Amino acid sequence: MIVPAPVLPTTRDENWKHAPLRGIERLRWAPPTALTQEARLAATALLGDDPPQGAISTRIVLVDGLHCPDARGTAPSTATGVGPGVAFHATDAPAQPGAATVSIDLAFAGLNRHHRQGELRIRVPDGETLELEVVCIALSCGHPALRIDLGARATLRLFERHIGATGSLANLALSVQLGHGARLEHARLLQPADGARHFETLEAVVGADAQHRMIQVTSGAAATRSTALVALEGAGADLGWHTAVLGAGTQTHDAYVRVTHDAPAVRTEQGFRGIAADRSRIAFNGHMRVTARAPGAHSAQTLRGLTAGAAAEIDLRPQLEIDIDDVRASHGATIGKLDADMLFYLLSRGLDPATADSLLKWAFIADVIARLSDPAWRSRFEDALAPLLPGAHAARSLT
Amino acid sequence: MLEIKDLHARVGDRKVLDGINLQVPNGEVHAIMGPNGSGKSTLAYVLAGRPGYEVTGGSVLFRGQDLLALAPEERAQAGLFLGFQYPVEIPGVNNVYLLKAALNAARKHRGLPEVDAFEFLQLVRGKMKLMQMDEAFLSRGVNEGFSGGEKKRNEILQMLVLEPALALLDETDSGLDIDALKVVAQGVNTLRAPDRAIVLVTHYQRLLDHIRPDRVHVLARGRILRSGGPELALELEARGYDWLLAGETA
Repeated sequence: MIVPAPVLPTTRDENWKHAPLRGIERLRWAPPTALTQEARLAATALLGDDPPQGAISTRIVLVDGLHCPDARGTAPSTATGVGPGVAFHATDAPAQPGAATVSIDLAFAGLNRHHRQGELRIRVPDGETLELEVVCIALSCGHPALRIDLGARATLRLFERHIGATGSLANLALSVQLGHGARLEHARLLQPADGARHFETLEAVVGADAQHRMIQVTSGAAATRSTALVALEGAGADLGWHTAVLGAGTQTHDAYVRVTHDAPAVRTEQGFRGIAADRSRIAFNGHMRVTARAPGAHSAQTLRGLTAGAAAEIDLRPQLEIDIDDVRASHGATIGKLDADMLFYLLSRGLDPATADSLLKWAFIADVIARLSDPAWRSRFEDALAPLLPGAHAARSLT
Repeated sequence: MLEIKDLHARVGDRKVLDGINLQVPNGEVHAIMGPNGSGKSTLAYVLAGRPGYEVTGGSVLFRGQDLLALAPEERAQAGLFLGFQYPVEIPGVNNVYLLKAALNAARKHRGLPEVDAFEFLQLVRGKMKLMQMDEAFLSRGVNEGFSGGEKKRNEILQMLVLEPALALLDETDSGLDIDALKVVAQGVNTLRAPDRAIVLVTHYQRLLDHIRPDRVHVLARGRILRSGGPELALELEARGYDWLLAGETA
């Protein structure tokens, strides 16, 4: 039976106005059926000698959505010490377009289910702690799928990276379920190669008194689109969502994040920093929804953009939708250019213009990276950004 | 050290400097005083190369080099330091990085290797002690959350680390209490040397009680109206500027 692929959105759809959708209907979405030896070698080469991050000793590598245990990763099976809760489950047959595709915001998640060849499931039992690195490598086309399920008071420290080959296509689906009092520290580094396209859909449900800390930096690629739908469903659920995006050339980076506050005393702090250089375009649509079931909710949103190119564009859209009076909510969005006074100050101290420029851009996103509690993770982010902000990376070595 | 001839400059459509002539020899400290809006800060900015301050005539030689032909960072690398009246806050760029980057930029200009990390920290700690600054300031953003006095101390700290040939200090005394003024003055006096020069822009004699100038100049209406020894500052303190301006008008 041939299963029809889900209908994809267009820029006429709400929440997709700035999405890089041009020509997506002509893209080849079908992934390779298996990993060739050539692909394994290419993946290993892309990883290089880069060791797992920080205290993490376990790395799982997915290549075009398929598990690749020999690409400097550790096989996610019971025999590897990762634990029985971490395993890659192959998919036998494509899923039928299901209820998820009813919402156009979940169209790419539906596409992922249609094409995915497996799913990496990470389950941390009640009260246990796990540290893990997941690297998704896109070589041609892949639909990686991750499912995270934390039991009561469980902790997961997850470092997630996305890299790939020039012109590759990735469509990630990530689902998160946090149990009572669970904690997810989630560092995401998205650096697809030049010319690559990266789509992703993140769905998270945060339970009572659970904490979800997400810190993400995106750069590279021709286009990225991130859709995140987070539901704070348990009383006292706490979300920290901080993202930085660096655009250059003709890149387009678009994100839509909807946080639904749906239980008493839930809390969200969201920050976004975008730097658009050259002719790049960056859009961030942060939708904070507080339902009548969330008395005492607290939502704080700060979105900031920096245009650093004559033809660069940034669109920031903070949205508040509140159905109840007993709520504290703040939101703000500012877009500007590099501060001329700051720039002159640095020049007057002898720094060359390129370094001064990079340093101020670095400073603009520094508070996002500073939220990483693990120095090794922070260092990895800084290393990844160093080539994009030449001269500025030295700043961190003295902090 | 510094030779300014018939310097004219404007900011936007407004003419601010109208034929400045000034010579500052090696080893000397000069004070520039004058009423509000006379062009003192403009002169400092023009010499440091601030964008938006357009030189419309005249010349400036700095250590025999055409200063106006240099970009702002080249002026700094060549040994010119501007102590800002209102130092800007730069969150996310920490003090110690800026100090090291600035020092290395100057060293590179002189053909020297980058400063050794240990030696650098030793150097900075010594200067901070002199300025009575807590080392915690090093890891903070540049001037971020600093009080007015702390910002001025930080400016002098930078100056002491960079050891410029020429320091232009624009109202370094403003916003300082008596104790802080003494500390800042001590820092400035530390820099006095036969191969350096210092230009102080100030409104008040009280700074000159602690940093004795070799020459005092009165800048008004975009020009140097009067030059003299330290006694001129005392006369200004006693009589104000009106008598000079009246003489100029007459």
